[in-house]
Amino acid sequence: MDSSATSATLTNRTARAFCLTSAGWMVMATLMGLAGATELIAPDLSHNIGWLVFGRVRPIHVNLVLFGFVTPGLLASAFYFLPRLLQTEIYSERLGLITVWLWNITLLAAVISLASGFSQGREYAELIWPVDLLVVACFGLVCYNLFMTVKRRREPLLYVSVWYVCAAVILTSVTYCIGNVIWQPNSGALVGIPDAIILWFYGHNIFGLLLTPLAIAVAYYVIPTAIRSPLYSHTLSLIGFWSLLVVYTHIGTHHLLQVPVPTWLKVIAIVDSIAMVIPVMVFLINIWYTAKGKLGEIHADIGAKFVFTGTIMYFFVSIQGSIMALPQVQRVTHFNNWVVGHAHIGVLGFAAMIALGGLYFIIPRITGRPLYSRFLADLQYWLVLIGVVGFTVVLTTVGLIQGNAWLNGETVYRVLPEIHLYYVLRASLGFLIFSSAIIGFYNIIRSLLSQSGAKA
Amino acid sequence: MYYPYFLTYMLAGFIISILVFFWALYNRQFKDQQRARFLPLQGGDQAEPVRVSKMNRIEGYALLGLACLGLLTTAAVLIFALVRGG
Ligand code: HEM
Repeated sequence: MDSSATSATLTNRTARAFCLTSAGWMVMATLMGLAGATELIAPDLSHNIGWLVFGRVRPIHVNLVLFGFVTPGLLASAFYFLPRLLQTEIYSERLGLITVWLWNITLLAAVISLASGFSQGREYAELIWPVDLLVVACFGLVCYNLFMTVKRRREPLLYVSVWYVCAAVILTSVTYCIGNVIWQPNSGALVGIPDAIILWFYGHNIFGLLLTPLAIAVAYYVIPTAIRSPLYSHTLSLIGFWSLLVVYTHIGTHHLLQVPVPTWLKVIAIVDSIAMVIPVMVFLINIWYTAKGKLGEIHADIGAKFVFTGTIMYFFVSIQGSIMALPQVQRVTHFNNWVVGHAHIGVLGFAAMIALGGLYFIIPRITGRPLYSRFLADLQYWLVLIGVVGFTVVLTTVGLIQGNAWLNGETVYRVLPEIHLYYVLRASLGFLIFSSAIIGFYNIIRSLLSQSGAKA
Repeated sequence: MYYPYFLTYMLAGFIISILVFFWALYNRQFKDQQRARFLPLQGGDQAEPVRVSKMNRIEGYALLGLACLGLLTTAAVLIFALVRGG
């Protein structure tokens, strides 16, 4: 490697700033989730406190998880490994830092506007137009910085993680504009069914074309590096990449199977949802074969342990997702807590697990010291794992109760008391996850900012 | 009318993907795949020897318990679907 881009000479300032961003907003995002879960138990809790009502708390929680915690966490790893894979420095660390500042201003604007009741009322696309512009600017800056880095690379071959990161940032920049109907500043929406279709293109692609490729990119870097073994097959990884691009982009309509959208669109969505088995299994077979016989090494590295667990969750969420895209199954599972369970396996169990794994993997390498506390990182691992499995069990059960009650024509007010207990369990599990976020925040801050690190 | 937006989006994605794919082909990105497998190992992160550790018994039981919980939920859903399904 050229001496100007060795690990010792890279400053990692952008990666470090994204780590801090992710750690900070992780606490806020999980706190908002806990607030929402508590309000589901006691709906009058926030009565008369406008900025705390469920309708505002939920979008704050969701947007902070997506854009405050998970995406910056994954980007931190990307800004760490891209120079190493491309054997060059980041095009501009200063631009990277400006991006992180703008990113945080955007998140602040998002929280203030949503809490004040300014929302476009479309799921995952609630942010109002000025904030939308800020989000697009952030992604635009990341795109520019990364593409210039790729352009100036000394390693001619692009490793699969580079493909995934570049695809994620460019596709999200475009999808965000289209999904938020950015050319209609007042409403940020089309009208009627066309709006639902375009919204779910976006909503789905936020998971499929932002979180998924970024998380896969991190896994493809962390696992081989942690166990010091080459990737099982790079050809296979590229097949997975291109098939993900072909299949994942058109399946948003599986969120609208109960809606009068054109049948051909539903057919594309269902067929492609089943076809998702191809990119998913290609990735998993590749990463699991890479790790074969090396579980001891993965167990020894807390970052790799988070990431590996995330890949297992990816298996479950994807198989579940393909089944949920079948209309017969959705007759029961749609519009209830089953989907919320799936969402948490995906975003928390898969994407956030890998984001945290990436953070714990890169922080000791950035600082040159062990983590502040391996014990706290392990504790966080267990709290998140118990939380996410608990969510799966509880929310799946509630979902089935709700779905069947609805199919049988039960009225909602008769079902609500039946599921109260489950909501209490769910909030308790949420408390575990919020506690884990505080522990993680403390550990990450101490690891990054203090001068000494405990031996792991 | 959503067709124009939708078709523009799909078409744009398709054209960009094809262009990038041919760029990759032309720039020999699909060649030398054996070397590509080793790229993460060239980053200078390999200074320290790799450590290995074993799962202890409690950890093993806890993981097994969580896995069983998840699998039991899946089994319950399947049984429910078979018994109650129309
Ligand atoms: C093969 C992969 C996957 C398939 C086929 C799939 C399929 C689905 C389907 C059909 C729904 C809609 C359910 C309904 O409304 O009845 C859904 C919802 C959802 N999925 Fe997935 N999924 C997959 C993977 C993932 C992953 C990896 C994530 C996260 C990173 C994720 C996050 C979500 C979320 C957050 C929702 C909830 C959307 C809402 O609020 O209504 N999914 N998925």
